[in-house]
Amino acid sequence: MTRTRSTTQHSDAALPVRPVRLREGDELPRAVAGPLTRTDFVRYAGAGGDLNAVHHDETVAQRAGLPSVFGMGMLHAGMLGNRLARWVGPDNIRSFSVRFTSQVWPGDELTFSGHVTRLERQDDGHAHAEITLSIVNQSGQEVLRGQATALVSGQDANCD
Amino acid sequence: MAKSTSHGQKSAPIRCPLDRSKLAELARAFHDDDPVWYEEAAAATAGFDGVPAPPTVGVLADHWREGGVHELIAIAGLDPERVLHGEISWEYMQPLRMGDELTATTALGEITTREGKRGGTMRLATVETDFVNQRGELALRRRDVLIEKGKA
Repeated sequence: MTRTRSTTQHSDAALPVRPVRLREGDELPRAVAGPLTRTDFVRYAGAGGDLNAVHHDETVAQRAGLPSVFGMGMLHAGMLGNRLARWVGPDNIRSFSVRFTSQVWPGDELTFSGHVTRLERQDDGHAHAEITLSIVNQSGQEVLRGQATALVSGQDANCD
Repeated sequence: MAKSTSHGQKSAPIRCPLDRSKLAELARAFHDDDPVWYEEAAAATAGFDGVPAPPTVGVLADHWREGGVHELIAIAGLDPERVLHGEISWEYMQPLRMGDELTATTALGEITTREGKRGGTMRLATVETDFVNQRGELALRRRDVLIEKGKA
């Protein structure tokens, strides 16, 4: 495959500033990334500073008994974080947590999903949304499970 | 689960500036190359009072730490050959903006042990990093759980 650069597209949706209106069951806009390449891993190694050789040096990875290099968890966690920010607004995220459940390999295609599991109304017309997040690969295997809380606009309030 | 006693150890504070080059690198690495993440004009057009940082920007502490994530592993006293990054979480207290000068301090939390499914004793270390901004406000807290697999 002759790819000179990794895909760097973004959706046309503007990044929200103020709390957005969300209801229970609302879903993260569907997002996919991949097939991921070694170049994607190297680019993130440089950006984020994870120079663990098992993520970029095939020789080291194979000596460790792995089939090839694999992606840093923080790369797909970061991709998910940006997609969460695009949904609820970066300043409205109160917490974000992820657990890495399986490795990501070159060639993997990731699908990002999430939905609001609960809304907790505040007195000021806002609410806190509890959000469950997940990333699966092309085989349907989950590689990351996540949770987030975000400040959102109350269901029936006219705020903001 | 058993508990160990070696927690509380802290790293030297790390200066972690949220500069434009790093923010552009992260946006591209995350396949989200929208200039709102690194251009003042684009952020202003979107309605932001500055350029917002991505939610996982706290990873830059590893970029500025001499030994990268290896230093976290060293702080926790784990064997780097057997360590997996199990979990990470972030709490957000203040908006994060390009131009912020964050100071990150990492402290070793609890270390617990657990019998691994494939034999050997696993160790789980929690490492907590606080990011204080140029106004002295705690802006971001990051918690990493490192898993050291048991010796087979």
